[in-house]
Amino acid sequence: MASVTQASVASDYTDCAPGSGAPPLMEGIGLCKRFGKVIALERVDITIRRGEVTGLVGDNGAGKSTLIKILTGVYRPDEGELRFEGRKVEFASPKDARRLGIETVYQDLALIESMSIARNFFLGAEPQRRVGVFRLLDGKKMRVVTEEALRDIGIRVRSANDEVSVLSGGERQAIAIGRTMHFGGKLLILDEPTSALSVHETNKVLTYIDEARKRGLAIIFITHNLYHVYPVADRIVVLEHGRKVGDFGKDEISVEELVQIVSFGARRVESGEQR
Amino acid sequence: MRIKALLGHREVGVAVALIVVYAVFISMKREFLSAGTLGDIVTVAAELGTVAVGVSFLMIAGEMDLSVGSNFALTGMLLAMLVTRLSWNPYLAFAVVLACSAGIGALNGLVTLSARIPSFITTLGAMMFWRGLALYLTQGWPISVFTDVPLLRWLGGAKVYHTFHISAAWWLVIGAVFWVVLQKTAYGNWVFATGGKRAAARALGVPDTRVKLVNFVLAGVMAGLAGCFQLGRMGSMSPVWGQDLPLEAIAAAVVGGNSLTGGVGSILGAMLGAVTMASIRIGLVMVGAPAYWYMAFVGFIVVAAVALNVRLGEVISWHR
Repeated sequence: MASVTQASVASDYTDCAPGSGAPPLMEGIGLCKRFGKVIALERVDITIRRGEVTGLVGDNGAGKSTLIKILTGVYRPDEGELRFEGRKVEFASPKDARRLGIETVYQDLALIESMSIARNFFLGAEPQRRVGVFRLLDGKKMRVVTEEALRDIGIRVRSANDEVSVLSGGERQAIAIGRTMHFGGKLLILDEPTSALSVHETNKVLTYIDEARKRGLAIIFITHNLYHVYPVADRIVVLEHGRKVGDFGKDEISVEELVQIVSFGARRVESGEQR
Repeated sequence: MRIKALLGHREVGVAVALIVVYAVFISMKREFLSAGTLGDIVTVAAELGTVAVGVSFLMIAGEMDLSVGSNFALTGMLLAMLVTRLSWNPYLAFAVVLACSAGIGALNGLVTLSARIPSFITTLGAMMFWRGLALYLTQGWPISVFTDVPLLRWLGGAKVYHTFHISAAWWLVIGAVFWVVLQKTAYGNWVFATGGKRAAARALGVPDTRVKLVNFVLAGVMAGLAGCFQLGRMGSMSPVWGQDLPLEAIAAAVVGGNSLTGGVGSILGAMLGAVTMASIRIGLVMVGAPAYWYMAFVGFIVVAAVALNVRLGEVISWHR
């Protein structure tokens, strides 16, 4: 699957018409969102494919989080539509989005520090066993499955019964990513996953993202640090003042050019849209 | 390794405190170590401990209830009034007053969660309001039940063995049920998560508001039930009883390893905390010290046990 999507990136990155390589997992078409007189998002199109990392970059207030909240069902778009696996979808709540396999890992909300890794891993989806008329947690299964699932994607923990507070920031992100993969997430949205991490930790998280991509997940990586997202991204979408001002396959643009666009937006926008 | 695993438990601080309290009183008075004394201790611990179990469960979910003492007095009084003055069927009256105590808890929860104010404030107000109502209902006088009511014997009057009252047995059953729910069910996982980091719990689909509301109700019911235990044991209830109960219950909970801010805690710890405080109360009586010392001792134990817990926690994580 990975090779197919790679090819599609190279051939026609702007096109989301069916038949161009792998069909898109999720599309947003002409998305608009206004809050009173403030236009938070203006006619933004976005295409998300399986096995691809889409970097979503832009300054504060560019509309990144508004766009993500529309994709995850927190907001409803004022105009435009969402398609998931080719079908038009409308989300009444984040639950609807999660049911389709759209999972968000927030930087500071990924895990609960005072609980064990296993309890975090299964939070909200706890495995239970019947004891008479009661349903009790299957503690052994929680521990064993957590350790297996984490080992599977290359995360080593001492014991799944350890408290999350003993883990580093990168390990916490990794466990949240592993959880999404284990529960069959299809689209993984990472909100600033590396902003609070050291260089070494950041690199580790990037390898987990790469691992998730190899397994065919679609990933949206939100950041304002282009140097973090560029190495793992397959395509990069740039937002500015609620509009999409750039949408590039990685091989079309260098990180220096991207920095120019994000920093001095407007002039490059003209040429970017005319193409 | 095994010692380290043992020291990692939240109950270590309170276990040490309990052993120290016991050792001190035994050294002062040999008879402190006897089944009779133990019976007295768990009987006293049962009433405080039932409140502490409910409060601790609520605290782990990140909320507080200062109105448990007023709930305790009002519920016990209502039961006594319904049975004596209105000659209700005791079992019906018991069901009704427990429903009232649940209602007090539910009101705490609804106000806290819908007005989005700290439960400390809500339940501080509730504490005063229900206390005032209890005082008004009896004009400040205690109410006694002079007739033999089997229900009251079942709640706390009967002794199952030696000095052990039946309320102690109920308390152990309640504690066991709460322990299982907290540690061994999905709901318990949600309680920890809601108190640990509410927004993160919600993001993963935990019904955080419902969890808090349910725990407010349970804290209320446990307070009311403890009031019924005391009425059963003493045969009377005064509208001024239980004024120290909220702080004693919170003290038992934090001594037992609960956090004031939620997310962590132990039912067993809160129960041992209640036993420790009951031991101090009984021990002071046995050595002939003025009962006024009780509060002073408890104050010392609270600070010492929590400090020990924190220190142990540091040592454990340091050596990992």
